[in-house]
This record gives sequence, structure tokens and C-alpha cells, in this order.
Amino acid sequence: MPVKPAPAEQLLVHVVLVAAVLAGMLLLAGALNDAFAQIGPFGAPRAQAPAAPVGGVLGWIFARQAEFYRALSGSIRAAKSDGTAAWTLFAIAFVYGVFHAAGPGHGKAVISSYLVANEETWKRGVVLSFASALLQALVAVALVAIAAGLLNATAPTMAGAVRWIEIASYSLIILIGARLMWVKGRAFFNTLFTLNKPAAVGAAVTPTHDHSHGGHHHAHASHAHAHDHEHRHCHHGHAHHHGDEASAWGHAHAPEPEELAGPGGWRRGFSAIVAVGLRPCSGAILVLVFALAQGLFWAGVVATFVMGLGTAITVAAIATLAVGAKAWAGRFAHSRAGLGLLAMRGIEVGAAVVILAFGVLLLTGYMVSERMVGI
Amino acid sequence: MHRFVAPLLVIVAGFALPGAASAHPHVWVTMQSELVYAPDGSVTGVHHAWTFDDMFSVFATQGIEAKKKGEFTREELAPLAEVNVTSLKEYDFFTYGKANGKPLEFNEPSSGYYLDFDPKETVLTLHFTLPLKTPVKAKDLTVEVYDREFFVDFSFAEKNPVKLVGAPAQCKAAVLNPQQMDAALAQRLGQLGPDQRDPTLTIGAEYANRIVVKCP
Repeated sequence: MPVKPAPAEQLLVHVVLVAAVLAGMLLLAGALNDAFAQIGPFGAPRAQAPAAPVGGVLGWIFARQAEFYRALSGSIRAAKSDGTAAWTLFAIAFVYGVFHAAGPGHGKAVISSYLVANEETWKRGVVLSFASALLQALVAVALVAIAAGLLNATAPTMAGAVRWIEIASYSLIILIGARLMWVKGRAFFNTLFTLNKPAAVGAAVTPTHDHSHGGHHHAHASHAHAHDHEHRHCHHGHAHHHGDEASAWGHAHAPEPEELAGPGGWRRGFSAIVAVGLRPCSGAILVLVFALAQGLFWAGVVATFVMGLGTAITVAAIATLAVGAKAWAGRFAHSRAGLGLLAMRGIEVGAAVVILAFGVLLLTGYMVSERMVGI
Repeated sequence: MHRFVAPLLVIVAGFALPGAASAHPHVWVTMQSELVYAPDGSVTGVHHAWTFDDMFSVFATQGIEAKKKGEFTREELAPLAEVNVTSLKEYDFFTYGKANGKPLEFNEPSSGYYLDFDPKETVLTLHFTLPLKTPVKAKDLTVEVYDREFFVDFSFAEKNPVKLVGAPAQCKAAVLNPQQMDAALAQRLGQLGPDQRDPTLTIGAEYANRIVVKCP
């Protein structure tokens, strides 16, 4: 984060950014609180109110998920005496994976938000989904193989290991969210200020202009060099590639898609894969331990990877949907000059806030996406 | 602007709100419960026998030393039982209740809790008694068991879900499962006007597994 002599405008950006982060988190926390509270019309106290199973599509998904999960242990037992029953196990594991990912969980939310915030293509969304699911399966297999298989660790020890992995994973999500907040928040406010100063837009998109950083230079030319240097990476290429077609709604201030698709972009994509894929699915761990106890560890390993495949398909579908929705929004935005660009940047900031909020809520234990129950 | 932001928000909200209700369980518990009465006819506590599903039971017993492989004695499982009971405190033992309309308050189980392992089914059963802070003579008694966050899926056993121990002869116990409750409740709700209240209905707890004891 740059610590440059901050003009009033820059300071304002910082203040508003912080306020936006807080507001976003409070909003999400409030929404979650409502979901938790389940206060009935007679004002039943919170602790007295059980969670109402959700109806509709989500309720149906949960019911199927539970059904397939419960069928897993039976099919592992069956595979012990009858080798062909292993195929049944894999089929169940696959379907369980598909349904499991359709339920709640931070994985697809973080991946989808990441894609939306980063102007990613759906293809990269698919790659991210499969890679993180693969990593998740690998972590589960490695954890059970080492902890249970080699060290004969107890359940609390394994739950403790999962807890540490969780902390690492959630911290990484926070880092990714914060970084995106910063980059996208700045782009948002640059756009906002550019809109308010139409003259600067003209300057910014003039191909011959020697700064690629038009949004700032009008206000404080003396810092232009520092900014130019600092942001060279972010804005590199813009003046050259897009100067001509920048148009009135000019994408003057956002990192360009091709920059994200480059080597650095993939490196950041990798951080998303690790953040999401690090935490093994509780279901996979239980299946693996059960298979190990039945002397069929290999079947558990295959089932875990097949489960991951199912998960990846669902997550990829949802991520594609999110990217598609944004592209659709983008078409509207294109027709609306500057305001449209501002809206797009706003969506990206929103997605970054979602990632950050997820990380914070998960890390502080306010939100639990899975639990290794101690009972 | 909202025209194109709205669909995105809907999508984000669709999967970004893992509220309490949307957790999915990895533990299934089949319950048999006993309500224990004192000679004077007052309820003194609830005895639970909770049988965990096979996958969770195997996970929970992973790494525990046993003389005979694949079988665990009560003594070998004693430390695990202690962990269970200790961590259940945090969740109020998932047990809530009312006597004559007043919430029941439970003490922690002092001792006498234990785990049994069924080697054939590879399932664990946790036995423990929750003593009431103050024994109460109740005409109307309800005890509910549920996990508000739905990480644990409770249901009553098909055989002997509830038993009254030493209760006055006129007391009758019944068990209501969530589905049955749902239909009955829907019917009663349908009969209520918009501003009417039915004090015998407690919305919000309608999805709990409920034991109802009437001692007229």
C-alpha cells in the first residue's frame, strides 16, 4: 500500500474505502444475524429457536445431499465383500460432490466473487474450480493418510489440524479480499472523480498524453511521476493498446483484463486456488477415515477424488453463471457512458467486499461453513 | 443502474448467505430419551441415549487404543465420553424444554455418563442424564432436542423413543417428529386470524423433535 504524500482527495478515497469495507461487513453480518436469529412471530428468544430446514430448491438439495452422504458408508461396507460395489460407491460419491457444492459453503462464493472482481473469463473460472477441488481432495487424502494412517492420531488431533488449515485458508481469503478491495476501490473512486471532472477524461484518453494516469494528474501534477511509477504495472499498456478505442466511457483506470490473464494474473489465481482448496471437506475426511477402518483406504481415496470432480462441476457452473451475469451487466454498462463504467467498478468492489467479509466472518467463527463436531 | 446490479446481487445472495438453516450435517443422532420422576411425582431430569451414525462413530473412535481391535470398552471410551459431554455444554446439550409453560433449566451431567460401542454396526451410543435445576411437577411438559445450526441431525429412534421412569400413572408421553409437527402446525396456523395468537403454539420450534408429556 503506497504511503505517498496524501492530498485531500487521496485521503478522502481512503476514508471512504474504509467506510465501505465496514459498511459491507456490517451489512453481511446483519444479514447473517437475521438468518441465525430465526425469531418467530411470538418473539421466541433466539436460543429457543431451532433452524427451520429450508424449503424449495435448497431444501431439496440438502435432503439429497444427506441421502447420498448416508449411503456412502453402506457402499464402503458393501465394497469390502464385493469389489463391483466400489463402482456404486464412486457413483454415490460423485453425486454427493455435485450436491454438496450446491449447498452453502464459502468455496464457490469466494471463487465466483474473485472472478467477478477480477474481470476473469469463464474459462479461467472453470480452471480455478477444478484446481481448487483437486487441491481440496489432495489435502483430505494427505491429512488422513498421514494423521490417521501413519500416526494413528485421534479425532480431536485431526480436528485440530483441520482448524489450523482453516485459519491459514481464511487468512488467505482475507488477504485476497483486502488486496482486491484496495485495487478495485481505487479504480472505483478514480472513475468517480473522472466522471466529476469531464475535462480530465478527455486528457486521459488522449493518445498522445504522456501519463497513463489521467485520473490523478489533473489534481496533483507534481505527484504524477510517483504515481506513474507506482502504478505502472496496473496501467501498463493502457495508453498504448487502448488509447484509440478508449471512448467516452473509457476504461482508463482499471487493471486491464490482459494484465490479469498474464503470468501475474495466474499467480493471483493460484492464491485463490490455495485459499479455497486448502480446507478439506469434512465429509471427505469422514469417508476416508471410515474406508481406512474398513481396510479399503484406496476406495476412499478414489471416492474423495470423484467427490471433488462432482464439486468442481457445480462450482464451475456457478462461477460461469456469475461471470455471465457480470458480462450481461457489462453490456448495459457499455450503453451508458461513464455511469456504466462506475457501476461495473462498483460491482467489482462489491465482489471484493464479499470475499473480505467471508474471510473475516469465517476466521472469527461468526460464520461456520463446516464443523468438525467434537461430540 | 439497479437494473443490471439486481441480478448479480440475487446470484451473490443465493450462495453467499450460509445462514444457520443452510448448514448441512455430518453427524446423525438417533435418540432414545427417558424422563425421570421422583416419588413425589416431580420430574427430576432427562436421560438421553444418543446413537451416532457409523461414519461419525468410526471417525470419533479413530486412534483410540483398544485391547481388542475393532472393539472398545466403556473404560477405553471414557476419555472420549468426557470430551463429548464437555463440548456439548457449549450447545446446551441441544436440549430445551418447558414445564407448565416455563423454560426448563438444566444442570450439567455430574457423572455417570458413558459411551458404548457396538462393534457390529460400528456405532457409538452416548448415555447421559441432564438433571433439572429444580424438579418440577408438570401437567404440561415438553422437551425438545435440536441443533439450531443443523450440524447435527437428531431424530427419535423408531423403537422406544421415549420412556417415563417412575412417573405418576396418569402421565402420558408422546413424540412428535418434525414432519408430523409441520402438518399439524400448518393446520392450526391456517385456523388463526392474522392478529390472533395461540399461546400453545411456539413458532420457531416447530421443527424440533419434541417429547410431550401430559399429566392431567
